[in-house]
Amino acid sequence: MKFHKRLLRAEPSFRLLSKLWRISWLYVLLICTLAGIGYVTLYSAGGGAPYPFAAPQAARFAVGLVLMITVAMLPPKILVRISGPLYVVSIILLVAVLRMGHVGKGAERWLIIGGLQIQPSEYAKVALALVLASWFHRISYARMGNPLWLLPPAFLVLLPVILVLKEPNLGTAVIIGGIGASMFFAAGMRLWLIALLLLPVPYLAKFAYAHLHDYQRARITTFLNPESDPLGAGYNIIQSKIALGSGGMWGQGYLHGSQGQLNFLPEKQTDFIFTMIAEEWGYVGAITVIGLLLMLVLGGMLMAIRSRNRFGRLLALGISMNFFLYCLVNLSMVMGAIPVGGVPLPLVSYGGSALLNVMLGFGLLLSTWVHRDSRFGESENPDNP
Amino acid sequence: MAVSPHDYDAPPPVTRTVRVTGEDLRARAHRDQMHVRLLGVAGGFCLIFTVVAIKLSIATVLHPMAPEKRQIASQIPEIPKIDPKGSLAGDFSLPQVHRASIIDRNGQTLALSLPVAQVYANPQELIDPQDVTKKLKTVLKDLNEEETTRRLSLPKQFVYIARNITPQQELAINSMGIPGIYFEPGERRHYPLGNMAAQIMGTVDIDDHGVAGVERFFDKRLMSDHHALRLSLDVRVQSVVRDELATAMSTFQAIGACAIVMDVRTGEVIAMVSLPDYDANEFSHASNDARFNRAVTGLYEPGSTFKLQTAAMGLETGTIHIWDRFSSIPIHIGRFTISDMKSDHFAPWMTLPEVMAYSSNPAAAHIALDVGGKRQAEWFHDMGFFAPVPIELPEAARPLVPHQWGISTTMTVGFGHGMAEPPLSIVRGTAATVNGGILITPTLLEREDAATAAPQEAALSQGVQTAALEQAETDTGSAKADSSSDALPTPQGPRVLSEKVSALLRRLLRLDVTSGTGRTAESPGYFVGGKTGTAEKIGPHGGYLKHVNISAFTGIFPMNAPRYAVYVMLDSPKPTPQTHGWTTAGWNAAPTVSKIVSRIGPMLQIFPDTAHAAQIDASMAIPMHPAVPRGVRPLGPGNDPGDPRKAEAEHRAAKAAERKALADQKAALKAAQKKQAQEVMDE
Repeated sequence: MKFHKRLLRAEPSFRLLSKLWRISWLYVLLICTLAGIGYVTLYSAGGGAPYPFAAPQAARFAVGLVLMITVAMLPPKILVRISGPLYVVSIILLVAVLRMGHVGKGAERWLIIGGLQIQPSEYAKVALALVLASWFHRISYARMGNPLWLLPPAFLVLLPVILVLKEPNLGTAVIIGGIGASMFFAAGMRLWLIALLLLPVPYLAKFAYAHLHDYQRARITTFLNPESDPLGAGYNIIQSKIALGSGGMWGQGYLHGSQGQLNFLPEKQTDFIFTMIAEEWGYVGAITVIGLLLMLVLGGMLMAIRSRNRFGRLLALGISMNFFLYCLVNLSMVMGAIPVGGVPLPLVSYGGSALLNVMLGFGLLLSTWVHRDSRFGESENPDNP
Repeated sequence: MAVSPHDYDAPPPVTRTVRVTGEDLRARAHRDQMHVRLLGVAGGFCLIFTVVAIKLSIATVLHPMAPEKRQIASQIPEIPKIDPKGSLAGDFSLPQVHRASIIDRNGQTLALSLPVAQVYANPQELIDPQDVTKKLKTVLKDLNEEETTRRLSLPKQFVYIARNITPQQELAINSMGIPGIYFEPGERRHYPLGNMAAQIMGTVDIDDHGVAGVERFFDKRLMSDHHALRLSLDVRVQSVVRDELATAMSTFQAIGACAIVMDVRTGEVIAMVSLPDYDANEFSHASNDARFNRAVTGLYEPGSTFKLQTAAMGLETGTIHIWDRFSSIPIHIGRFTISDMKSDHFAPWMTLPEVMAYSSNPAAAHIALDVGGKRQAEWFHDMGFFAPVPIELPEAARPLVPHQWGISTTMTVGFGHGMAEPPLSIVRGTAATVNGGILITPTLLEREDAATAAPQEAALSQGVQTAALEQAETDTGSAKADSSSDALPTPQGPRVLSEKVSALLRRLLRLDVTSGTGRTAESPGYFVGGKTGTAEKIGPHGGYLKHVNISAFTGIFPMNAPRYAVYVMLDSPKPTPQTHGWTTAGWNAAPTVSKIVSRIGPMLQIFPDTAHAAQIDASMAIPMHPAVPRGVRPLGPGNDPGDPRKAEAEHRAAKAAERKALADQKAALKAAQKKQAQEVMDE
């Protein structure tokens, strides 16, 4: 055993092998299972054919897997070093999308570079988690007590939030804010400060509603009162609810969900894919998917708790939070609990940008796991580093 | 506690003498606090997921989430019960209104009149005008006090105070008991679905008379008969079509768009959308562009869509056959050149299926010349292309038809240029070619025999079952294409081409979608057939604008038993990365038709049949190079009556002969006169 370890450490290539060995392959299997469920459902959404959804998505997933494993090999030292530049690039992209983005459904979200469509707000989330983790890693615990040291990271969170709100993409702005907030909390922000900041929230919400885009306000009103527009904006929620209810315990059977197969369910391959699963596989299928998602989230949190360095812990938390909010927003949306908001179900829904972003996140998560025992450059004492 | 930065997998040192300072202890406390907080976050995740799981159990098993009543209430058609006297009564206890409602084929209300009142006064009977105004102001918030007081003091016997007040306001004013204040009953028109079918509805003026749309066309009927006017429109289909068309319009940044869904057997218009549109309740604020109904008022060059007509007239007159071949080499005539846009499938001689599938302009011009200008013009006249399209809308436009029908006109019209038609006319002409050869009359009214032919729809219209619930209960497992149904209505109207030619044209249209320019219109299981049509727009100074197109696709489904035509037209679509820079119909209009078909099919009781797809497609197939029967000399190289040079020479010869005959006649006349004069002189 010892010999094996020494051998692995002797050569850089062996070291890479050793790192590969340390990847949590159980977690990777979990990811592949969910993607497999996505493939099967997309096959059904395509009318029982691999095209136009299932096969391209499988190809993208393969690319995502390679990306994930590659990122998992990066040591935290390098991640800390590139976090700043990555963040700056993501902000530049967000500004670019406002300047010359492609307008889709009333919002500028897409940027087309060399024929490739990218959604900068997706990458901004990962970049934010990285840059916040390295900031809190660099400043000491003791400095968490001084609100002045929290101002720069607060600025780092607010900048993308404001840019994304301008697009306007309310759902993603809330997710970015959520990631930032959770990292502030875990990094050790004082509780009295949190309480103080939470006080003016209701007033802000009132102000925000007054400044919403027409289509966003329409979503909120239809959510509160779907029949106000049964043929337009309320249509999606009504059809989704009917599909959910028709699934029952065991579902209508694979390829036999009437709402999905007959196109009554809009966006069934993206936002409403969970509804399609519930319709065809019933409660059993849907709860299985929810269980798998929860296992992925908790696995991420386990990696956060197990990490021995502050950077890894916070990064793993930020990434898990991102994944969790993704799932939560999508699931609540299809069950009619919150207004519809263009957030796909990660790993399962059709779409390249969201998938690659999630796989990138998993790569970072696995990197913290692989390097969980590394205790690099953590200054425990600011005066005596 | 110095630690090597590269030591990623080394176990922590086992023994080391360290001095634990207060700082270290504090740091450890912070780390413990962080663990607690991370655990807290993880606990929060579990909690929220549990809530989601509980919500899911309630939604699917414990309390299956059938749509709540209030959600589907608006989808349940409400049909006022009709009493024997013919006035509206029943659940609503609506006060009498004069103008009848307009409903769609399922009974959904499109337009209805609600009672209002006009308030007027007899100033002679008023005691104190100022006091009266003050009292009225408490109910009528918009009242201009000064102006009203002035008018109520006039030495008149009749002064209007306010128009269109609600019943509540009327009650409030009435209970004030002001002497000299009277009410005149009136009514106000409402369009509860707003933008839906706004241009078709039109509007009424202040005296409740229709001034546009069906409101104007059926003005007398609506004022005299209290039964609701049932249109052929299906609001569900209309909504889907409008939704998809709006998406296409924004995706391709088109300046306008229109779409039509029509029953090719009965001529019933199921949906008709023109974008941009407006809220029908706000007609007076709508722009002219929004009021413009592109489907019947807009005149557009049909483009390649017309090649279908050219092929139809060629086959029907027996001039051409399916096995004939036609030259697709660019034709120069005068200062024009007739050529094709792209040459992926270029062949100097194309068979008829190739001409249709790859949409060759010169070849279509050849066929047109084969048929000849005179027969071509007669054909268009018989197909109704020279007259305004018959539809129950006062806005139906008269098509633009060339004055001179020379050789160049014959050729350009052969591929749809040089003539401008409203889209509905194109749909009507296409319907005739696929429904067995009958020229049906488009209508906005529900055909009575159609109602009996579709029992499910009849059940729906009785409000027995909601559309939404029915969708959920439909079992796709047993879904079948409506192909074998003998309940299909028989088309009514003059026969314009034979059943046999129609069957052949159906195959050609299906070919265009399976392997031609319309591939993107395919919707699995619905057997879509159709023809693309892209025409360059005419600029403000005349002449065609390159790269600014009118892109249209006329689709028919299911092609094995044609039932519905789906037409989509986009005005000046822009290229996107997905269309690789193209703005032709195959890249924008055809995919939109595909999306519409797959969503409206089930609503119209036509279900996708993928089980028998191969079988049905095989029965509809037509080879690209059909075999030439024995003993027939096909048109083609060496046998080309439609050669434009020849045609021009013939035309010139004919003209010359005409001139010569005229000259001869003149000469003869002169000779006769001379002779006469001579005779007179002789006498």
